[in-house]
Amino acid sequence: MNEASSSLIPLVIYFISVIGLVALVMCLSWVVGGRIKRRPATGEPFESGIVSVGTAQVPITVEFYMIAMFFVIFDLETVFIFAWAVAFEELGWPGYAAMVVFVVILVLALIYEWKSGALDWGIKTRTGLERK
Amino acid sequence: MTFLDFQALSPLLALTATILVVLMIIAYNRNHKVVCTTTVIGLFITLATIPCVIGIDPVQVTQLLVIDRFALLLITLIALVTIAVSLLAYDYFDGNSGRPEEFYLLLMLSALGGMVLVSSTHFASFLLGLELLSISLYALISYPIKGLIPLEAAVKYLILSGVASATLLMGAALLYAGLGTLSFEQLGSGFYPEQATVQAYIVIGSALLLTGLAFKLSLVPFHMWTPDVYEGAPAPVTAFVATVSKGAIFALMVRFFVLTGAFEYQSILVGLSVFAIGSMLAGNLLALMQNNVKRMLAYSSIAHIGYLLVAFISGGITGGMALALEASIFFLVAYIVTTLGAFGIVTILSNSDESRDCDALENYTGLFWRRPALAGAFSIILFSLAGIPLTAGFIGKFYIIAAGVKGTLWLLIATLVVGSGIGIYYYLRVIYTMTLKSTSTEPIRIPVASGWVMLLVTATILTLGVYPTPFIDMLGDLAKSLT
Amino acid sequence: MNDLLWIVPILPLLGFLIQYVSAGKLPKLWVSCIGAGSVGLAAIIVALIGIEYLQQTDPVAYTVTLYTWMDVGGFKPGFSFYLDGLSLTMMFVITGVGFLIHLYSTLFMFDDESYARFFAYMNLFVSAMLVLVLADNLLLLYLGWEGVGLCSYLLIGFWHTDAANGLAARKAFVVTRVGDTAMALGLFLLFAHLGTLDIQPMMKLAGETWQTGDTIPTIACLLILGGAVGKSAQLPLQTWLPDAMAGPTPVSALIHAATMVTAGVYLIARTHDLFLLAPAAQMTVALVGLITLIMAACTALTQTDIKRILAYSTISQIGYMFLALGVGAWSAGIFHLMTHAFFKALLFLGAGAVIYSLHHEHDIFKMGGLRTKLPVPFWSFLIGSAALAGFPFITSGFYSKDEILLQAWAYGDMGPWLWAGGAFGALLTAIYSFRLVFIVFFGETRTEPSAPAGWAMAVPLVVLCGLAIVGGWFHVPVDAVFPEASPVRHGGTVFWVTAAIPVLGILIAWMIFLRKSIDVTPLTDSAVGRLVTRFWFSHWAMDWLYDLVLVRPYRWIAAINKDDAVDYVYNGTASLAQFLHRLIGTSQTGQLRWYAATMAAGLVLVIAILMEFI
Repeated sequence: MNEASSSLIPLVIYFISVIGLVALVMCLSWVVGGRIKRRPATGEPFESGIVSVGTAQVPITVEFYMIAMFFVIFDLETVFIFAWAVAFEELGWPGYAAMVVFVVILVLALIYEWKSGALDWGIKTRTGLERK
Repeated sequence: MTFLDFQALSPLLALTATILVVLMIIAYNRNHKVVCTTTVIGLFITLATIPCVIGIDPVQVTQLLVIDRFALLLITLIALVTIAVSLLAYDYFDGNSGRPEEFYLLLMLSALGGMVLVSSTHFASFLLGLELLSISLYALISYPIKGLIPLEAAVKYLILSGVASATLLMGAALLYAGLGTLSFEQLGSGFYPEQATVQAYIVIGSALLLTGLAFKLSLVPFHMWTPDVYEGAPAPVTAFVATVSKGAIFALMVRFFVLTGAFEYQSILVGLSVFAIGSMLAGNLLALMQNNVKRMLAYSSIAHIGYLLVAFISGGITGGMALALEASIFFLVAYIVTTLGAFGIVTILSNSDESRDCDALENYTGLFWRRPALAGAFSIILFSLAGIPLTAGFIGKFYIIAAGVKGTLWLLIATLVVGSGIGIYYYLRVIYTMTLKSTSTEPIRIPVASGWVMLLVTATILTLGVYPTPFIDMLGDLAKSLT
Repeated sequence: MNDLLWIVPILPLLGFLIQYVSAGKLPKLWVSCIGAGSVGLAAIIVALIGIEYLQQTDPVAYTVTLYTWMDVGGFKPGFSFYLDGLSLTMMFVITGVGFLIHLYSTLFMFDDESYARFFAYMNLFVSAMLVLVLADNLLLLYLGWEGVGLCSYLLIGFWHTDAANGLAARKAFVVTRVGDTAMALGLFLLFAHLGTLDIQPMMKLAGETWQTGDTIPTIACLLILGGAVGKSAQLPLQTWLPDAMAGPTPVSALIHAATMVTAGVYLIARTHDLFLLAPAAQMTVALVGLITLIMAACTALTQTDIKRILAYSTISQIGYMFLALGVGAWSAGIFHLMTHAFFKALLFLGAGAVIYSLHHEHDIFKMGGLRTKLPVPFWSFLIGSAALAGFPFITSGFYSKDEILLQAWAYGDMGPWLWAGGAFGALLTAIYSFRLVFIVFFGETRTEPSAPAGWAMAVPLVVLCGLAIVGGWFHVPVDAVFPEASPVRHGGTVFWVTAAIPVLGILIAWMIFLRKSIDVTPLTDSAVGRLVTRFWFSHWAMDWLYDLVLVRPYRWIAAINKDDAVDYVYNGTASLAQFLHRLIGTSQTGQLRWYAATMAAGLVLVIAILMEFI
């Protein structure tokens, strides 16, 4: 038993007491808590007396997600460009070259997205998906 | 960054350029054959740059990456495996519904991540490589649109791998808090501090780090995801996950331990030993009665990484480092080649249009009578996994036992022996099934590209088993240069 | 020529592979060409190597390493071949005699439906035997050793549709296995103590490590002797060889007379440095040889099956070789090995020709008067038997056997006794070998032979006849390999007595079996005589003894232990593994939250371990 392992004992006690506490709370709530009788309407969502219609999980067109993702990606890329702009003088030409490579890769990715129809709205107008 | 640095990085740069080229090809001319061919050519160019680098190694490129012979060996290996997986995947997807072109893009991105991992000497590049590898894998696992199983696998892998990455990051953060650096080499110089607080940082940081690594290597008790993901992922992707992903992580681990000198921490070795024993026993026991070939191979890969750790741990014994590394790398290579072959067989028999891959054991009934060449190759691969002489697996296992004996790791060796004994049962069971009378007369087509891949893989397994000396000599030099 | 050495064992191996892979689909002519041709080519290369080796004024042994399998932690088994006078002599015998027998087989086996299978096994055998004699380390030697054992098994049971042949093959395999186990233990012992597998360094190290008469070399030598007596059919493991005659006659000639059965002699000669350190073990070798040779000679006297007579004679002659090794007459032993290979192959092939012409008749009392009808086999038999008996001055067998007996005489206090035993054996040898000749080839014709066999069978016989005569003038190039033997005095009473014994034996045989001037019927028909004859006929009742002492108790125990108590352990292990599989298998629920929870728990465990053992 050295220093580190003796400092383990509080940890073990803590670990056990956490489990004990959680178990205690769950048991208590089961013992003390009220009982609900299950009726046909028990599982229904409460809509101020109005019977709910349809499901809450409405499918949203995938384009919304695409646009959201593109926004995040390009937004993050601007962060890098900002960082470069701040240190523009210090980085000099090597920094410039690095940034050019970065932006070129971005442009290529953008071309890919565009050509594969990720920026088009609606499935019918998509191009490039059909196998040649 | 000097010219030398760029020269040293040329394999990585070549692969990156290939990715961009393939990206453009997909944008303008979506054609499966063209994309796959370009991918393979690009990977061969990547391989062709390696001889240019061998002359100048080792090169430390900034603090992040080092290109030495160890890194080059693994980069070569990753490129070769990626070529094999691309060719296997071509036949797997060819002529089927869906859009297979982006598969190669993701595959190469993943391989690039692996290459960064094997050459990184810094936590920044480590995480960069790891995430590049993993994020591409999430997409790859769920790639074919065929029901829910791949999707389930991908979500499981995404969430659990996210947890592991977070743990790993936390470990890095704790190490940084303790020692104020993220470079492995500088970590090493301060790894044995006097103050107990710093020591605690290091130990807990290492524990978190090990947890993250153990998850990626699917070591017990972080192995639970492995069978589900291996089963759900399309067979070529499973081949990739089981080989490149694990190999790259293990290489990183070797690098980390060698540079920081973490071998000297007794407690870390004990932790690794627990992983190793657990993996060898649990992996083999779980595989025992498994009727699904992919799950069986998943469990067997858990056990194999356990064996690998035995050799690795023996590096902690004074003067045992060189042999330990030599043994680990040999076993790793043997494992990668053999596992690639095993999943390659599954890939050949499967098709991306079917709702399940050909992974039920009964699908293999009578394979010997229907396709003797394929069944023969599979038998050799299974023999190698079981460690039967004249295959790569035997030399690998012999090596590990030699390293273990030198390190007097008797408990680990005993577990290895018990584990291998259990293992023989389920490997031979597959061979037995293949020799049974065939229930189906449906002809099996062996596609050309995949056929060649399997031929080469089988030949490599036998060559490494029959005439391993040149490779062993090379590894010996390599291991000495590392330590 | 150094570079060619590795080709020698590869050639027959290639022959085997071609015939094995083609699975009998090749035309018979091709099979003949490949089967006999590969061995013939190997023989030519051996001749080239031999000429170059012997032309050197001071031949130096050398090693050719084909490649090293692996080099892990000091364990470094390689495919390396070692050439010195000993292995060269063995190679000559194997490829030379082997080629003649292959040539002979192309006709003898021509009508057999498994013609290709026969040649495949024969080629594999030649290859394995070459590996055995060329091996530079014990691992490779063991590979060859087991390889020849396997081929012997396959060829004894070649006509496997007859269950008796299968049983004979099994008996040979099991009995030699007893010896092989002992030998493997001996090799392990040597490796454990000397830490190397290479034979030459090992012999050198043995001399430096141990004193003469130490316990460990003695035990190691006795274990190696165990392997040697198994393979070479010596007491107490000789019972398999007569049954092995169930195989085709060329097999008996090649494997069970000329080459494989002498592997034990080769092994002891190869490890002679070790035996010199263990005089007790060496003495055992001599005694084993002596007792075996007399026992087998007595049995040969009573047998009626032509091949079994030759089989017992083989056992007896190998007994002479063991006697030679035991008394330190190393080169005489190897010399006898070579001449024996010539004349015994000749006898077997001659017997084969007789059997061939007599529609597979084996019983000598149904033969007779074949002298004029089958001239080539007759002359072969006459020359072969003369050499076997050691007819003075004109046969090879005389020179080698004489050498052995004279060296035995010169061997210390025990010498005269050993000599007397050997000389008695020589007398018996002469009697039984000419009994065979007189009964089969003289007298009245009992079975009418068909036409004599063609040239492919005649040529090997003629060549071997020549070798059986002139073989005695060859000098075996093993002087550099062995320590110098004590010089033998040619001349003197002992020499002349030794030389006269075979002549005496032939005279006795002539009087009993041809002129019938001595009537032995009263002797053999008396109660004691019948008992002795039956006792000898059954080879001193050894099969009966083994059946009583080993086989029956074993079967009895097996019958009692039907459920096999030992199996409980293994079945238990399997059940345990299955149980654990199910137990651990329950953890694979497929539920993500459970997986995440185990990860968290595992993390706690890892931190605890690392904190505990810091």
